[in-house]
Amino acid sequence: MDKNQACYLCKGCGLGEALDFDNLEEVLGESGVSEVKTHDALCSPDGVALIQADVDGGVNAVLIGACSSRVKTDEFNFGSQVIVERASLREQALYCSSDEEEAKEDRQMLAADYLRMSAVKLAKSNVPVPFKLELEPETALLVVGGGVAGINAALAGAKAGVQVYLVEKEAALGGFLGKMAKLAPESPPYQELEDTGLEELVAQVEADGKIKVYTGNTVDKTAGAPGNFTITLSGGDTFRCGAIVQATGWLPYEPEKLADELAYGTSPGIITNVDMEAKAKAGDLGGLNGVAFIQCAGSRDQNHLPYCSAVCCTVSLKQAMMVKEANPEAAVYVIYKDIRTPGQSEEVYREAQRKGVVFIRRDEDYPKISESGGKLAIETKDMTLNDTVEIDELDMVVLATGLKPNNPKVVDAPLVALGMDQEAAKKLAAESKAQCDSWSVLNLQYRQGPNLPTLKYAYPDSHFICFPYETRRTGIYTAGAVRRPMRVSQAVEDATGAALKAIQAAHAAAEGVAVHPRSGDMSFPEFAMQRCTQCKRCTEECPFGAINEDEKANPLPNPTRCRRCGVCMGACPERIISFKNYSVDMIGSMIKSIDVPEEDEEKPRVIVLACENDALPAIDMAARKGHKWSPYIRFIPVRCLGSVNLVWIADALSSGIDGVMLFGCRHGEDYQCHFIKGSELANVRMSKISETLDRLVLESDRVRVEEISFNEVDRIPEIISEFMETIEEVGPNPYKGF
Amino acid sequence: MATKAYDKSFREEVYQNVDSGEDVKLCMQCGVCGITCPLRGEMTHGPRQLWSLIRAGKRDEVMNSPDIMLCTSCYSCKVRCPRGVKVIDVMHGLAHYALEQGIVPRKETSKFGKAFWDSIYKTGRVDETEVPMRYTLMAGPIHGIFNMLEMMDIGRALLAHKRMKFKIGPGLPPSKKIKGMKGLKKMLDKAKAMSPGKEG
Amino acid sequence: MTYFLYPGCSLEAGGSHYLVSVEAVAHALGLTLKEIDDWNCCGASIHYVGGTELQTKTLNARNLALAQKQGGYDIIAPCSSCYIQMIKTAHEFEEEPKLAEELNQILAEGGLNYTGGVKVRHILDVLYHDLGVERLAAAVKKPLTGLKVASYYGCQTTRPYGEYDSVENPHTMDEILEALGAEVVPFEHKAKCCGSGIFFTEMETCAPLAGGILGEAEEKGADMIVTACPMCQMNLEIYQPRLNKILGTEYDMPVVFVTQLMALAFGGDFKKDAALDRNIVSAAEVLKNAAA
Repeated sequence: MDKNQACYLCKGCGLGEALDFDNLEEVLGESGVSEVKTHDALCSPDGVALIQADVDGGVNAVLIGACSSRVKTDEFNFGSQVIVERASLREQALYCSSDEEEAKEDRQMLAADYLRMSAVKLAKSNVPVPFKLELEPETALLVVGGGVAGINAALAGAKAGVQVYLVEKEAALGGFLGKMAKLAPESPPYQELEDTGLEELVAQVEADGKIKVYTGNTVDKTAGAPGNFTITLSGGDTFRCGAIVQATGWLPYEPEKLADELAYGTSPGIITNVDMEAKAKAGDLGGLNGVAFIQCAGSRDQNHLPYCSAVCCTVSLKQAMMVKEANPEAAVYVIYKDIRTPGQSEEVYREAQRKGVVFIRRDEDYPKISESGGKLAIETKDMTLNDTVEIDELDMVVLATGLKPNNPKVVDAPLVALGMDQEAAKKLAAESKAQCDSWSVLNLQYRQGPNLPTLKYAYPDSHFICFPYETRRTGIYTAGAVRRPMRVSQAVEDATGAALKAIQAAHAAAEGVAVHPRSGDMSFPEFAMQRCTQCKRCTEECPFGAINEDEKANPLPNPTRCRRCGVCMGACPERIISFKNYSVDMIGSMIKSIDVPEEDEEKPRVIVLACENDALPAIDMAARKGHKWSPYIRFIPVRCLGSVNLVWIADALSSGIDGVMLFGCRHGEDYQCHFIKGSELANVRMSKISETLDRLVLESDRVRVEEISFNEVDRIPEIISEFMETIEEVGPNPYKGF
Repeated sequence: MATKAYDKSFREEVYQNVDSGEDVKLCMQCGVCGITCPLRGEMTHGPRQLWSLIRAGKRDEVMNSPDIMLCTSCYSCKVRCPRGVKVIDVMHGLAHYALEQGIVPRKETSKFGKAFWDSIYKTGRVDETEVPMRYTLMAGPIHGIFNMLEMMDIGRALLAHKRMKFKIGPGLPPSKKIKGMKGLKKMLDKAKAMSPGKEG
Repeated sequence: MTYFLYPGCSLEAGGSHYLVSVEAVAHALGLTLKEIDDWNCCGASIHYVGGTELQTKTLNARNLALAQKQGGYDIIAPCSSCYIQMIKTAHEFEEEPKLAEELNQILAEGGLNYTGGVKVRHILDVLYHDLGVERLAAAVKKPLTGLKVASYYGCQTTRPYGEYDSVENPHTMDEILEALGAEVVPFEHKAKCCGSGIFFTEMETCAPLAGGILGEAEEKGADMIVTACPMCQMNLEIYQPRLNKILGTEYDMPVVFVTQLMALAFGGDFKKDAALDRNIVSAAEVLKNAAA
């Protein structure tokens, strides 16, 4: 494409008074941008019209020197065919710099550098051309799992007008919902137990022409990518679909493991909540005069399930109410550590109390259960009475066991690792994770394995609060207890959310644009294959398993699986991966365009490669909040720290830049990286930077990685000033002037 | 540590016979009432533990607890209880129930309260002169006189500042009744018959 | 504006200076107060010793029924104990249909009936919300400039429903006092309990409660404690010598009603309108000093 570029500088928000615009025009001219216009308020209708008129006249690459690229995005959008590059003069040159007269020169240099970098970026950017699948894109939805979540996802998909395939391994739809007697109150005033409504749901599915049901089937193979998955079922049928919802539910925690603690197996009166539900469904609750429920039976216990299953309390409340309904005179006890009743279930708790259920708070020790003469007795600590109490004459003790992920290969790593040393335990945990990842519902034909990658406790998920339903496999969404323990009403909500996400993903694939978090991005990584050395780093490191391999280990990219984070670009030692508007060369050239003053000027230069998801907004907010920092800092936004290629560090240091900082998201167990592994990978890579620094004979203090989260606004100036002190101690980069 | 067995009979008794007794069911043992009470330092159990004792069936410990009559009626607990338990009403109900069983949780307050209620039941109002006098005299003739003498300074001060009506001798002349006393008495009797544990 | 006045037993005796000053303030502000004819005692805090909960509610339901029959004006209950008892019955009558039915069965015994809807108001509520501090400030003829007061609401004044002021951190009386020209000292005990209905019979136990209130007022440099509850006024004032004996203190802190200060600031007579001669711990001197 022929680039016809122009630059627009804004004099609003104080920029006009703070900067020398003649000088900036000169700088731009030297950078190859000769067409420069200024305006007093570029974001005003008048200012926007100025740019629009030029665009209409043929300008297709616009450099805007005004405020942060995160604001005024609607005003400065001139359509997909016009490249817009923003230099954040307001936040990064004006707001953050001292307003004293002697600081003017530094500020001017700061603004000039941002314009130089933007000019280079503009020159090297191209308008992205969306990726097109070879075959006609498919928008049909596959829903795996015919329980409450799956049925609702299928219905939601069909309602949205999409063809749905619903696959269930059992002979009939229903899943665990089909095994439930009643639901805990789900609607105001939360006092009456409710019917499961399963028959009605199944009838709706059967009546819906857009839903094709495969019962008695599992998925043998899932090949392809969003917009073009090919599914092979155990029954032999194959079909194409655009996106997938996995709603395969949960497994109950094995009560046999509680034989020591809670005497499971010693008496027919000691049962689990799952057994209790079956009894209730069979109408077998008559004649009970004394029943006790023991909460957290194996839950929130480092030796069993370390987490809270979130539903067992409500389930026990419901079952206690059922016992009371069958016999109002029955003595019913709930022995708990904490009653956890999320949402409106607190009302259910109240209702169970009104019905006369007695609640006893215990400590961490399990109650002792004993049997004599056909009756059960419990001895437990009563925390409120600060005493040991006895409850006898019980007909039944119900153990409120928790929910496990639906993966038969899941082992309780903490349990097996107990008593082992750290290293052995880690090894065991890794082995059990590998085991768990080797089993799959979908049997993905992916380079990185057949299962959805799992996180903590073997649940497949990306970030369950920030990005529910997302998995690390684009176009595949999880709904219901498959992704975390949840109750029926939450699974229903989940199903709708996941189905809509899946439909979106199929449409995005068809249009060749990215899904969350870079929704709508048309760029995608392109591989200069003739230079590939088959090192496999990209295929291994892609957080989303987007890249398959051929037999010779050549990468086979699947752009519709890609989230456009650039981790592959950061990984590639040969630098053969680039986007139309984001490349190793582009950022490298931006770094090299920075004007590095001579050593005797005593003006060091430090670049900060900042994640544009969290660090960049934090920087913007810090500047807007009035924080000031060193004028020797130059920020360069990156898509993800995972996209940082080591060569940029070398480029920077060899061109006389004194220090490099990387601002990325928190990684590790509570990671906040939008691309899951980006910041972690960057950290690993940077730990190996010493090699590069040694080659250049430079101090390792010159490079630092910092974790910044979105809200850590006040840390920004602290981190910068601390780093500037370090740089001062280390002294000027000896490469200056080379 | 002693092992206590749970017994359901007392909690049923409280639910049925004590004013607002059913509210005990709703307690979720958060402890806000106990920590909020201005006299928490003076109580052995405090409301939360009393509720637990009721549920556990500890009749003697509850009925003989002086705490049930140590409520100042400041309403802090009621205001702060996240479950809306009428903590004060239950405390008062328990005290009333104990007194009916012949248990006197706090001697002085019981005496004073009785004189207070008698005045209402007889006249419809409370005579601030008569009630304390009756109360002081309840200690018996000799103690009563001493008590009266002890109260003399306060009585004199109130009289001198026109904040007490002058009367000769205890209860003389009898306090004036409200006009509708007859009706009020009927109402109070009916209300008593309809109160928890009194039906039938 | 016409309101019912429910003086209650307290204002007839120990709180007589409250009644005098309430009437003077009402007069100065053009409020008409009508006493509910043939009202009965509310039961106060100690009712439960002799009566059941339903009997206490009966007492209050009778007053509400009388008020409804006699015109249905809002009822001003200056005594906080009366206020809380009456508003509690009024609330529960509206919220619990079963109770409402029972109460009407009972009222029928005396030929009465209550259909709900009569509003029970504290005097602070009426002063603050119906009149507003600006109107109160405009009525001030002799501002209380220089007077430092601890604004003490006590426990029952704003509870239990928080109808007109925060139950935890009330402010209406502070603002009223500021409108009179007084300086309100910060006072953490503003809504803490003084011992209330059991103070008299459990004085040793409750002494630290009252002591805390008097102590903070003194510590904050208040010239006096101002209250809107006759039980607080009585407990904190007339038993001060007793408290001093129990606690080993030497408090000599005037405790006056907010309406007494209002009557004075509105230009009323020290005795006739403000009834300040009826305070046992005299406030005459601090008031004179403040005015000077």
